[in-house]
Amino acid sequence: MKFHKDEDYIVYYSNQLKNDSKLFSQHKKFLESQMEASRSLFSNIKRDSFKKFARVYLKGRGIIC
Amino acid sequence: MKGYEFKEDILIINRELTDLDHFVDDFLNILKSHSDYLIVNGFVSISTGRVRGTEDVDVLVPIMDKSHFKTMFEDLLKNKFWCYQTDSYSEAYTYFKKFNSLRFAREGEMFPNMEVVPIDETKKAKYFEFSNPQKIKIKNFEFKIPWLEFEIIYKEKVLGSKKDFEDAKHLRTFFSEVLNKQKFDKSLEAIKNEIS
Repeated sequence: MKFHKDEDYIVYYSNQLKNDSKLFSQHKKFLESQMEASRSLFSNIKRDSFKKFARVYLKGRGIIC
Repeated sequence: MKGYEFKEDILIINRELTDLDHFVDDFLNILKSHSDYLIVNGFVSISTGRVRGTEDVDVLVPIMDKSHFKTMFEDLLKNKFWCYQTDSYSEAYTYFKKFNSLRFAREGEMFPNMEVVPIDETKKAKYFEFSNPQKIKIKNFEFKIPWLEFEIIYKEKVLGSKKDFEDAKHLRTFFSEVLNKQKFDKSLEAIKNEIS
């Protein structure tokens, strides 16, 4: 099947998922790989300096002010 | 098996729990003992099957008084969450009472985070969705989200980014058999002042 836009793929996938819950296994794999990547992102920062480092990073990204 | 079903007005999603679900469940288990809440935005789409990344999970929480807030904040910290903005409940409350969001992650981690969004009756659209919850259950993880119709129309008419349109497209397609026109109409009425 050929998809011309991202939206075409979303409609196709959501329709398949609606009728076959087995496809949720792919969803789980994707989400868990993202969680793993997020966890490892700052895992080398020492525990006692983590929050200080994190707040500088988050301010730099504009997530906190 | 179908991807979802309704049992006694609870939306059941037929899938296994993910690490992201466990993170949200752990946070809500603490929050729920102090406040009502509503999970909104991206996690509604993701928990119902949308495959995309996310850094934050948005949760609406009504404004509360300072002593009540102190108990909630300290309970979150005691249970190994940290607040992005500050370790001080008093400082955090100054953000909260001015309707600024607070973000919490697990100790030693930055993402994902729970974005606590304060609301009250003056926030018309948010208060509408908060007051009209839909229960959703994945295995033993039960939580509250807005009407699916509200979530779709808010993403299409108010938020409007590519990601939001794609989330809405997923919800419209996945739940096409159960979406209700009256709920769409009521939701549209509730957000009319936020449509530019």
